[in-house]
Amino acid sequence: MNPLFAVPTADLASLAPELLLTAAATVLLLLEAFAPALRRAFVPAGLAATIGAAWLLTGSDSGPAFHGLVESSPLTRAFSLTVLLATALGLLAAPGYLRRARLLAGEYPALILWCAAGLLILIRSTELLTLFLALELFSVALYALAAFHRRSARSAEAGLKYFLMGAFVSSFLLYGVALLFGETGSTRLDGIAAALAAGNGSPGLLLLGSLLVATAFAFKLSLVPFHAWAPDVYQGAPSPFVAFLSVAPKVASAVVLVRLVTLFADSPIGGRWPDVIALLAVVSMLAGNLFALVQRDIKRMLAYSGVAHMGYLMIPLASPGNAAWRPVLVYLVAYALMNAGAFVVVSMLYPSSDDQHPIAGLSGWGYRFPALGICLTVCMVSLGGIPPTAGFIGKYLVFLHAIQHQQLYLALVGIAASLISVVVYLRVVYMLYMKPEIAAPQDVAPDFGGQVAAVVAAAGSLLLGLWPALLIDWAVASLPVG
Amino acid sequence: MGGSFLSLLLGDTVTRLVFFPTLAAVPLLFMGKAKPIAVKLYALAVSLVEIGLMLAWTAAHWDAAGLVVKDPVLPWLEMPSLSIVYEVGIDGISLPLVLLTGLLLPVVVLGSWKGVDRHWTGFTTALLLLTTGILGALVALDLLVFYVFWEVMLIPMYLIIGIWGGERRIYAAVKFFLFTMAGSLLMLIGILWLGWTYGRLTGLWSFRYQDLLRLDLPVEQQLWLFGAFALAFAIKVPMFPFHTWLPDAHVEAPTGGSVILAGILLKLGTYGFLRFALPLFPHAADRLAPWLLGLAVIGIVYGALVAWVQPDMKKLVAYSSIAHLGFVMLGILACDLIAWQGALIQMVNHGLSTGALFLLVGMLYDRRHTKKFEDFGGIAKVVPWFAFFLVFSTLASVGLPALNGFVGEFLILVGAWRAGLHLLVAISTFGVVLAAIYLLHLLQKTIWGPLTREENRGLRDLDVREVLALLPLCVFMLWIGVAPKTFLEPSRPALEAVLADYRARLAQPAPAAPGLGASRNPAEAGRSFLVDLDAPDRGVQP
Repeated sequence: MNPLFAVPTADLASLAPELLLTAAATVLLLLEAFAPALRRAFVPAGLAATIGAAWLLTGSDSGPAFHGLVESSPLTRAFSLTVLLATALGLLAAPGYLRRARLLAGEYPALILWCAAGLLILIRSTELLTLFLALELFSVALYALAAFHRRSARSAEAGLKYFLMGAFVSSFLLYGVALLFGETGSTRLDGIAAALAAGNGSPGLLLLGSLLVATAFAFKLSLVPFHAWAPDVYQGAPSPFVAFLSVAPKVASAVVLVRLVTLFADSPIGGRWPDVIALLAVVSMLAGNLFALVQRDIKRMLAYSGVAHMGYLMIPLASPGNAAWRPVLVYLVAYALMNAGAFVVVSMLYPSSDDQHPIAGLSGWGYRFPALGICLTVCMVSLGGIPPTAGFIGKYLVFLHAIQHQQLYLALVGIAASLISVVVYLRVVYMLYMKPEIAAPQDVAPDFGGQVAAVVAAAGSLLLGLWPALLIDWAVASLPVG
Repeated sequence: MGGSFLSLLLGDTVTRLVFFPTLAAVPLLFMGKAKPIAVKLYALAVSLVEIGLMLAWTAAHWDAAGLVVKDPVLPWLEMPSLSIVYEVGIDGISLPLVLLTGLLLPVVVLGSWKGVDRHWTGFTTALLLLTTGILGALVALDLLVFYVFWEVMLIPMYLIIGIWGGERRIYAAVKFFLFTMAGSLLMLIGILWLGWTYGRLTGLWSFRYQDLLRLDLPVEQQLWLFGAFALAFAIKVPMFPFHTWLPDAHVEAPTGGSVILAGILLKLGTYGFLRFALPLFPHAADRLAPWLLGLAVIGIVYGALVAWVQPDMKKLVAYSSIAHLGFVMLGILACDLIAWQGALIQMVNHGLSTGALFLLVGMLYDRRHTKKFEDFGGIAKVVPWFAFFLVFSTLASVGLPALNGFVGEFLILVGAWRAGLHLLVAISTFGVVLAAIYLLHLLQKTIWGPLTREENRGLRDLDVREVLALLPLCVFMLWIGVAPKTFLEPSRPALEAVLADYRARLAQPAPAAPGLGASRNPAEAGRSFLVDLDAPDRGVQP
């Protein structure tokens, strides 16, 4: 048999979670065409596929597959589970919103599942072209989902903006890959590392190539100055999707960025990398929180706060090494819970037909919707990094890492930024509880799935903050010793 | 850790004292539709159970030697080469404040009965979570655990001021939050830095108080770290230039919030100095003490002068807090045993007398919806019981002998004199005179003299609930005043141990590079510092 088509079973087995997600998405799409009566079951089916993928993931073996194009390790599994957590939260919150917006269709869960599959491959890829393919797979799904609210002009605008900038950035990535391949003769990360260590290639072109590749992922993470898309896309796109968009792609992109930065920083061209990352971190933390301060729309506010959070996440990368993985993983799990939780609540408390999501619209609703109010408050406290929440544990590890690596100034900037952010998040709590109710709810009906997602996210944030050993032990067991 | 924590929670432990209020808040989640009176009674019952638990614990476990009694230590967060332990214990320094917290809890519930007119479930929940934060910060013996509890206090207090407060409540709540947060975040960096330094020296990170006490740091590092801690605590106290949040927070907070804010929250600042800032960084503390002493005495005089000219009763009491806490800081920074004993008892005294004054102002506000002096005058004839309690609390606050305030201020002044701070003592004594002036001014304008306003003629006197709220405070004011030894003695050994250690370390010059001193565990000095609950003999072990 032609060896090209003889895919060893072991390789296929290693891809089982991605295959399950893809297959489930395809089936859902076909069912949408041929059995639309089953629509109500589509999202639960997608949820089941996500849980199934998580189960397959925990049982999978470590090691490279497909001749080293992808790998599987406890580390990739830990981050993949974080992505699937965000996927599950996004899916849980979706049906209520989609029903209200009269958008319930099989395409939604299908696109989300494909996107998740792309993200899982991205986390595992150890080769630049696979990386690119994975990026395109999830990006195309994201563009379509951003424009999913097809009767809303804002949503179309969000999709188009995201697509244009994303396409631009993809070409950056491709150009960077080409440069790296040209100078090192390899597209595999280990091959590039070997070539760099041997001193092959022109330093200038290598630096340009590595910067272009990193830029693509800085864009996905919406770090300043690559953040401009985030507020517009968040505002226009369907809210439960933003719960997914604001978390899952960032988890996967952060993994790639850690890999790349570690790779480049250890090489002869790596001298300035830590400074570049430190600069990105400082600018993102400060600018993100300052811009968030002046937003009146809660989704735009959360977009800018997300920019700032990715800035905090970059702090450990300013001194790359295996030790950076732990704060990154813990921070991302905390971020997944608190940020997705916030968007899930937002998706229930604002009418699906509105383009605007003024924070003032929540006036006094902490009393009208007590459970959701408490969930949103917990998420806000966690985003602000105030104990006893998961957000504090994340910030604590990040600052600890900075101090441990003699980068006290990063911790101090982080603290200044946190102080600004507290004002941002407290304004939401203030609206919920300290203002009289002015607007009676219209077209606002918290649904069961969304409430479950909100409670899971809030309770998770609180539990991991009170009992961080749960999270830390898991992270320590999953990550290389550093 | 889960199982052992649960057994701590259910056992007769410090942990149970800390977390019982939080557990008691859980049923409130399902009482959203309950009648306010039911919630009020529930809150009262919970607070009475809490003080009962405290008394039972003290009776059963209190170490006669006055040194720390700990719960078994549990791991809280473990990583390779890093462990944070959940370590809590009560010693002679924290016990008075813990009991004060318990005493004030039912008082706050009773005092808020009418003033808090909506969302009682929310108010009770916030109050109970706040109590857990306060108690946790008082008993924590791991600095990171301390920090967590310290921050836990912020959100409930923000909500209490912001939801149930007066007209400018939002401004006051946000200001309170930002001031406190700014200080405490720097302290967090200081704590992390300490833990890291300990880790560099020993290979194992630690945030345990007794471990970090062993660190001998160069003076320059001490100065930075002391600065970070002192800023957080000075804002909380609040000391003179950092005090601006306090009048806003007090005036806008509901009565119960003011009582708990003045009664206990502020004490955590002074407690922080005594427990952490001074013992951890003795050389820096010694070097900066003259400056801080200056600020403390400025606070005494400034607070008194500003209080004097206030047109609003609540503002007067708020500024008087700044003056009183200036005294406490004077005592702490004098680093003298008598002064420390005075400072500790004065923390309790201020909680009692200022708490009572805030309650009384609140009761007047409940009736007339004003706190301005100009709306009152001569009401003693109409409301004799009110007048009695007001006079009693005011005299306690002034420092009349045979009442509690005298004991604290006298000991602080004597101790500071003994420490050689003659000029400062002289100025501070002037502060006592000023206190008499502005507090008697308060009495004269409100209750004495002719009845100036017709609408006050129908003023209702205190009812049973209000008397019940005030009575325990007044009983203790008198008790401390006439038998101070009962209250001073339990704290003495702990203060002595801390002071001896502080002086011993100060006698050694600070090293040029961070080093690890001998164990500061007083057990090695012939005292049992680490007392395990399960150990059969918990007495003094020579």
